[in-house]
Amino acid sequence: MTVLEAMERVGLKETTLAVAWIKDAIHLIQSQHDENLGSWKTDIADGTRDYPFPANMIKLKSISVKDTTDSKYKKIRRIVHEPVMTEDTDPE
Amino acid sequence: MSFDTHRTWVYRISGRNINLYQYLEGAASDTLAGYRIKLPNEYYGNQLIYPDETITDGLRYEGTAFIEPFVDVDPSELDGNDNPTLTDQTSPDESDHINLNRMLSLAVVDYLKAMVSEQAGQIEMKEYYMKQFWKKVGDNESNKRKMSITFPISPFGVR
Repeated sequence: MTVLEAMERVGLKETTLAVAWIKDAIHLIQSQHDENLGSWKTDIADGTRDYPFPANMIKLKSISVKDTTDSKYKKIRRIVHEPVMTEDTDPE
Repeated sequence: MSFDTHRTWVYRISGRNINLYQYLEGAASDTLAGYRIKLPNEYYGNQLIYPDETITDGLRYEGTAFIEPFVDVDPSELDGNDNPTLTDQTSPDESDHINLNRMLSLAVVDYLKAMVSEQAGQIEMKEYYMKQFWKKVGDNESNKRKMSITFPISPFGVR
């Protein structure tokens, strides 16, 4: 369905507003359902604990770490409790 | 060398970051000539440690994302027998297609109607169209799943 067709079905005249609302609707759909899945890879750095979520990710489905012995990404578990260590200033 | 990562790595969500840890059982470890060894004099018990190695492309996220919301051709129409080749439209205009199937595109129309109703102060209409929106989103989701339910027939059931 084109943007124009959607606008005509509603009686909207402003394209910019229609596009913004369509983006909102897609965002809502992606927040609730796995409609369009993506994957992102980033390097793990020795001694670095914090890694940001991908900027365009809406809903997290899983996190995996590469097993270098067989080159497979394996889902890792989320810890729910608060670790005693808040920061390690000498990770090695 | 990372091994059994599904057992030896864990994460914790911290705001817009994740905290990535390795779960260490028994002792500190090191990698020697490609083999992971326990350091005999450094017993710490079970503990979480920061990642102790560099892995190129080692961390993989999977999730929903804002991927190509507008494209140049109808994503619901086959190109011959093949799926259409979609090109992302970064500055969408009226002629571009919403990158959703027909059912979800109709749901988006309901969302637009809800927003127009809200602007006009018609809250009941807005709620009605939002209900239609989520109903179509739900229908689309159930279209992907096939379920069968079996009931036992009672001995005196009318057939």
